[in-house]
Amino acid sequence: MSSRGTKQKKGNVTNEQEEEDQPLQAVLIADSFNRRFFPISKDQPRALLPLANVAMIDYTLEFLTSTGVQETFVFCCWMSNKIKDHLLNSKWCRPTSPNVVHIITSDLYRSLGDVLRDVDAKTLVRNDFILVYGDVVSNIDVSQALQEHRHRRKVDKNISVMTMVFKESSPGHKSRCEEDDVIVAMDSKSKRVLHYQKTQGLKKLQFPMNIFQHGSDEFEIRHDLLDCHISICSPQVAELFTDNFDYQTRNDFVRGILVNEEILGNQIHLYVTNEGYGARVSNLQMYDSVSSDLVRRWVYPLTPEANFTDQRGQGCAHSRHNVYRGAGVSLGHGSQMEENVLIGRDTSIGANCHISNSIIGNYCTIGDNVVLDRAYIWNNVHISNKVKIHQSVVCDGVLVKEAVLLNKQCVLAYNVVIGPNMSLPEGTVVSMHHPEEEEDDDDDEFLSDDQVVGNSKDKTKQKAFNPAEVGSEGKGYIWKASLDEAEDEELAQCIWGLVLNPDPDSDSESEASDGSQDMGSRSVSPEMDDVKVFQLEVLGTLQRGEEENIGCDNLVLEINSLKYAYNITLKEVMQILTKVVLEYPFQQQGTKLSSSQYTVLLLPLLKKWSPVFKNYIKRAQDHLDCLSAVEELFLEQETHQTAMVKVLMNMYQLEILEEDAILKWFSAGATTDKSRQLRKNQGLQKFIQWLKEAEDESSEEGE
Amino acid sequence: MPGADKETDLSERIEAFLADLKRGGSGTGPLRGSGEMARETTALLRRITAQARWSSAGDLMEIIRNEGRRMTAAQPSETTVGNMVRRVLKIIREEYARSRGSSEETDQQESLHKLLTSGGLSEENFRQHFASLKANVIEAINELLTELEGTTDNIAMQALEHIHSNEVIMTIGRSRTVEAFLKDAARKRKFHVIVAECAPFCQGHEMATSLSKAGIETTVIADAAIFAVMSRVNKVIIGTQTVLANGGLRAVNGTHTLALAAKHHSTPLIVCAPMFKLSPQFPNEEEIFHKFVSPHEVLPFTEGEILSKVNVHCPVFDYVPPELITLFISNIGGNAPSYIYRLMSELYHPEDHEL
Repeated sequence: MSSRGTKQKKGNVTNEQEEEDQPLQAVLIADSFNRRFFPISKDQPRALLPLANVAMIDYTLEFLTSTGVQETFVFCCWMSNKIKDHLLNSKWCRPTSPNVVHIITSDLYRSLGDVLRDVDAKTLVRNDFILVYGDVVSNIDVSQALQEHRHRRKVDKNISVMTMVFKESSPGHKSRCEEDDVIVAMDSKSKRVLHYQKTQGLKKLQFPMNIFQHGSDEFEIRHDLLDCHISICSPQVAELFTDNFDYQTRNDFVRGILVNEEILGNQIHLYVTNEGYGARVSNLQMYDSVSSDLVRRWVYPLTPEANFTDQRGQGCAHSRHNVYRGAGVSLGHGSQMEENVLIGRDTSIGANCHISNSIIGNYCTIGDNVVLDRAYIWNNVHISNKVKIHQSVVCDGVLVKEAVLLNKQCVLAYNVVIGPNMSLPEGTVVSMHHPEEEEDDDDDEFLSDDQVVGNSKDKTKQKAFNPAEVGSEGKGYIWKASLDEAEDEELAQCIWGLVLNPDPDSDSESEASDGSQDMGSRSVSPEMDDVKVFQLEVLGTLQRGEEENIGCDNLVLEINSLKYAYNITLKEVMQILTKVVLEYPFQQQGTKLSSSQYTVLLLPLLKKWSPVFKNYIKRAQDHLDCLSAVEELFLEQETHQTAMVKVLMNMYQLEILEEDAILKWFSAGATTDKSRQLRKNQGLQKFIQWLKEAEDESSEEGE
Repeated sequence: MPGADKETDLSERIEAFLADLKRGGSGTGPLRGSGEMARETTALLRRITAQARWSSAGDLMEIIRNEGRRMTAAQPSETTVGNMVRRVLKIIREEYARSRGSSEETDQQESLHKLLTSGGLSEENFRQHFASLKANVIEAINELLTELEGTTDNIAMQALEHIHSNEVIMTIGRSRTVEAFLKDAARKRKFHVIVAECAPFCQGHEMATSLSKAGIETTVIADAAIFAVMSRVNKVIIGTQTVLANGGLRAVNGTHTLALAAKHHSTPLIVCAPMFKLSPQFPNEEEIFHKFVSPHEVLPFTEGEILSKVNVHCPVFDYVPPELITLFISNIGGNAPSYIYRLMSELYHPEDHEL
């Protein structure tokens, strides 16, 4: 790893002059690697779902282009053909596009980590790049952040590997995604991230003390930040993902970097903006709020009427109360479009309808006396008379028959037929795919498109629709009824993203979020655990060392790597090592050893491993630390206090400990009664006496 | 193939310009001054004339009209772009007529009788090929560019005729033309300027800083204080985004308030507007008249829960009816609002009003 780092540095020195001229690159991940939008995303990849009648990926690409990105690598996995087709027909692949889009597809990507490892393997990025998901909507001008990032890299010689872009927004803001709720501790001067943790709805959070001990004297702990999921990365990021194959998500990466900060010397910085807009559509809750922000013009100039995708006939007119009307929209007599309404092209609306806060796609027909509130209706949807829809998503090709009532948070996936005369309870999810079929292909989630479709056709034939669920003329399966109660609720909440503390071992949870949760739970008290685990590992190493007669140099190497793995300081290493070695006889033979037996067993060990000790005990302070560890141990093992003198004597003779240090320790350290008593031990007194005399002698000799 | 190269280069430039237009003005009105916008549009049109493939004036006009339509659609609020397209179209018509040898006068003065008898100038009439047409058109566009370069200076030169010693002048927001106008007057005369801050973008603050740096006594007031202060003001001098066909204005928010207050106190209201801001648009074309930007300036996004409970709007422009305006000062002199229709017919050909 270290050789890599130096290579990188050398490369960058030569590149530095060109750095300004090189085109800015971006890595766009057009896959979410989770199933939050299931069952909708079964038919259409998430990046292509319409957000205010424009595919999500177009917003991301527009954002990248407007920040000056000249080369974008789009990575697709799930339904990559559809994404490819969409991009090839869009303005991004026209020869005049200022942003060259390369599409890279593979069925093997299962996480962000896989993609970045591929980026590294193909050496696609040459310089700092922007990393985003295909469902990020933003108009933030990141050039400032980019400049700061480059400046830091120039000054600190590639120490900063990533700058994350955050937007200020106070808690309770509707565009804050509860899953992504983070708490960040940062150095206010250098904007360095010291601690990064998802709150996961926890009321109590712990911060390791050591993060506040180095660096500057000003810290900020912030909870008013909205993660925009835009990160400016150095090329090392891809390498780090390759080196650490267990990194799956950006969260893993950030935590990994922070934990290993001392060793690798990498840092992560933060860019906080209060201008612009940035959010990721990570679940339907966010879909709801980002859509309404778009219609309310928060993302200006990416407004619905701007037609930034430059598609023919997509344009619409904006009139007061944020009502947008596409070309060829017809509105029946007495229909009202109250506020924040977007209606796509060639949609016709019947008489006496009442529409507010809704988005209606292209080529829809809506009957008479329909009430729509916070409804997201996609393309080619037919809604009959007297239908009422509240805060629901209705996908392409759905037919809603007469007098159907959709309560809050319903989802009608592609081509479903509902009704007539029925009401769907809150949180109902209806899909043409049978839920059991979903369970079946849990494993081959990343199969090709055709296979899944063929699969579903067979199943559809097998099972009849339940008229009680979807109405007498309905088509589709309710995802709720076929699953048992507990799972069902979870699903409904998942898709709307209301989960605060999801069960970590639920199957419907994504790999990615699973990973983050594990990280989260470990983070509550990472220090204690790590120290204990480290101690066990050291013990194991020494045992193996003894059994297999491994050389001391190799032992030192192993302990060093353990130290890095568990983020242990040098001081702790020494104390733990001392403790482990001194306890070693007890570990092997049980605690009922007599003092003499103990010393017999221990002394050869000490002799054998003295090079290991010498490797760690160098400075005066190290000696004292080691001595205090010895003292601590013998305070616990009161019966063996007599052995202590022998141990000390031995360590002195093996030149592990210096006499100055021992004398200093003896005269200083007595803080508790017990340790004072310990110092009154006759043997110890004698030993000290002897040491003093020896010192006098040697000093006399010296003179 | 050098020809193909040229064409891709041209279309790349057009796309870049369109993208710029679309992103233009992320909150604080036009990002660049409209003067610069006019110059850039004209330069691009000159490039199209030079590099696109066309054989007759009719072809060229069609190309320019097409591109013009896209440019205006990209940012409907930037009327300058459309105006410059119309100016260039007019130039082509004139050059074509001159090449054919007929006088310009006949084209311009279309009487009702002529319209009835000839059926107007139809497109077939532009099919004739003239070798010198391209050079002539480019020459004429260059002249237009030189005219554009000098507009602000031309307006500023007239300052001394309008501003007298010890006057109190009021203005609103920030207009580069007004800024130059006042600074020019300040070289010879001493006067006091009151600047309305023009919330929520508060461009007035910038204006005041810039004026006071030039040694002009400047006071900034809140928009709400406009009426209260008006009684002390001798003259109101403002800039505008567009001069509409009826002589009205499309200017920054708050200008209507200012104009009404000026009317109430019978204070003269002078508008500094270069000719390229004159647009054949009427105020009733609602969809393209308004421009709403991100409500961030009105209620910051950082506010928490309240945002989901309220609707926030942030319009940029105000309409000022022509009755409230005393005088327009353009680069070709002072005009009353009632004269605008005449200027319009001089600048643009009636067939080009709709692109």
